[in-house]
Amino acid sequence: MHWQNKSLQLRHLDAGSCNGCEQELTALTSQAYDISQFGIDLVASPRHADALVVTGPVTDTMIKPLQKVWEAIPRPKRLVALGDCAAGCGVFQKAYACHGGVASAFGSPDLVIRGCPPQPTEMLEQLKRFQNNSQTATESGL
Amino acid sequence: MKSITVEKIEGPQWTHYNSQQKQAGHQLLALTAFQGHRLVCHWLSPDGFVTAAVLHWSGLDFPSLSPHLPEVAFDEREIHDLFGYVPKGHPDLRPLMRTPRWPADFYPLNGTSQFPPNWLDTQPDNPAKIVEGDGVTVMKVGPTHAGIIESGHFVFSIIGENVLHLDLHLFQNHRGVEKSLEGLALEEVPRLVSRICGADTVSHQTNWAMAVEQLAGYQVPETLRWERVVLLESERVLCHLNDLAQIPAGVGFQVAHQRALAMKELWQRGLLELFGHRLLFDTVQPGGAARVEVDSLLKLIQTMNKVWHPWRNFVEKHHGFNDRMTGVGLVRRDDAARFGAVGVAARAAGLNFDVRTLMPLYQNLTIPATKGGAGDVAARFKVRLQEVESSWRILQIALNHLREAPAILRWHPPEDLSGEIVSYSESPHGLNVHVVELEQGHVRRYHVRPATFRNWPLVAMATAGNAVADFPLINKSFELCYSCSDR
Ligand code: SF4
Repeated sequence: MHWQNKSLQLRHLDAGSCNGCEQELTALTSQAYDISQFGIDLVASPRHADALVVTGPVTDTMIKPLQKVWEAIPRPKRLVALGDCAAGCGVFQKAYACHGGVASAFGSPDLVIRGCPPQPTEMLEQLKRFQNNSQTATESGL
Repeated sequence: MKSITVEKIEGPQWTHYNSQQKQAGHQLLALTAFQGHRLVCHWLSPDGFVTAAVLHWSGLDFPSLSPHLPEVAFDEREIHDLFGYVPKGHPDLRPLMRTPRWPADFYPLNGTSQFPPNWLDTQPDNPAKIVEGDGVTVMKVGPTHAGIIESGHFVFSIIGENVLHLDLHLFQNHRGVEKSLEGLALEEVPRLVSRICGADTVSHQTNWAMAVEQLAGYQVPETLRWERVVLLESERVLCHLNDLAQIPAGVGFQVAHQRALAMKELWQRGLLELFGHRLLFDTVQPGGAARVEVDSLLKLIQTMNKVWHPWRNFVEKHHGFNDRMTGVGLVRRDDAARFGAVGVAARAAGLNFDVRTLMPLYQNLTIPATKGGAGDVAARFKVRLQEVESSWRILQIALNHLREAPAILRWHPPEDLSGEIVSYSESPHGLNVHVVELEQGHVRRYHVRPATFRNWPLVAMATAGNAVADFPLINKSFELCYSCSDR
């Protein structure tokens, strides 16, 4: 599948984050980073999204909503794990109500952005690279 | 901290004793359950003395405090969910964090459950309380949201545009933090405690440090005291700047929102340079705290002031913005008192409680009383404006002390530390309490009672009677984090 459109519209879903990752993701939308100038944006509806950004170690209570939001995103679509918790190497990975991150709870992410939380500059760099590599991207096998 | 008085209470006296504490003007710190059918209710007197009321009982039922002390209604539901103890006489014992996916015999904190649990393959929704009748619409929002927001599920009963009742279904972010802390050795705890909540992290870290130090009888040296004040106040500024940015966003006032986010960014870049972390994670440990370069932080405050004052002037003079905030999302003073409101929400409703005034850490510092009063969104906005400026003043005082302060040697707690203690601090969201039980240098029980947990029921109360379209504004004016509440 070739990606015709180079813009990258993200839908965010919190699956048990400490809100650190959310704060830094919000910073990307501020004028300091101005993520939309690169054609990357956070959108309100999964129907408008190209990719789902998950934060947190994936709590049990968020598993079903996560599946529903993923299903609501039109194909082709991609999955991003943001922060160490979502990446499966956070401090609460083994807590009883967590499923150990996106990969073990749900499926292999197409992009993993490490950090606790990742710094906005780092997030932005990785998202831009991800956007530009989209020619070779395949849809998540989910 | 002054020593704790322990009062053993017999079952029939339990409600009477605790209601009396409330009537005497004492502040509830936490209601904590332990294995072996034990409950401890910690109270803080207006002069800073802590009393621990202890209840032992046999069987599953204990007398519910909620009919007399509505502020513990959530606490008792949590105890019911996690221990299986039954608060007898509780008016609404629906599950709080438990979901239909939890195995029936799974009570994670009671010591008998198997890990990991065998989750049931069903939807996680609990029954909602709704209003029925002609013309009433039920509107469900969440748990996933249209913006960058933590997960939470809200069930509104509305008539026309007005909210009749809001039923909160939170705890989607319940990770099992308290259980994860059990069994950890002292040096393993800070990394987790630092990540209970990204907004109140320094307060959580400081509570753990103070708990260990008090149990070990360590006298915190002046230098360390000031270093912690610097970190706590830096966090307050950071969090308040965030919330001050979010409130204008709630009414689509983009200029004020973006300019405040820019101030937050400026502050965060400074924090990164000074303390190595944009959100101040991992900066406080028992016996230690991150050092600060006095002149750099003073310079940062000066730079901040140059952008802060024009912004403050701009938002305060904006009639449209002030009109949108006035009279919306009202919390009445007596409701705030009855439900044990804390932090900005309480001060905005005219209660004067700020636990910094009772913390040894802040001795010799005057914490200026903030003027709130009306209890609406505008009051919560105004309280934060005042508190940012008073934090900068406290920071300047602390930094001047630190300029002269001698360096200290890092203290390490004894490896076999044991005992039970309560510690508290004023996080940006309000009174934040930890109850810690250690045995031979390992955590036996760790209970976290953050400010947001106490204030959530007020959000529901403040929303009823308002237009449903104002909910984002009302919610943002409390700006309660879900993660520390859900744990
Ligand atoms: S990765 Fe770190 S900042 Fe992000 S949610 Fe997890 S603990 Fe919080």
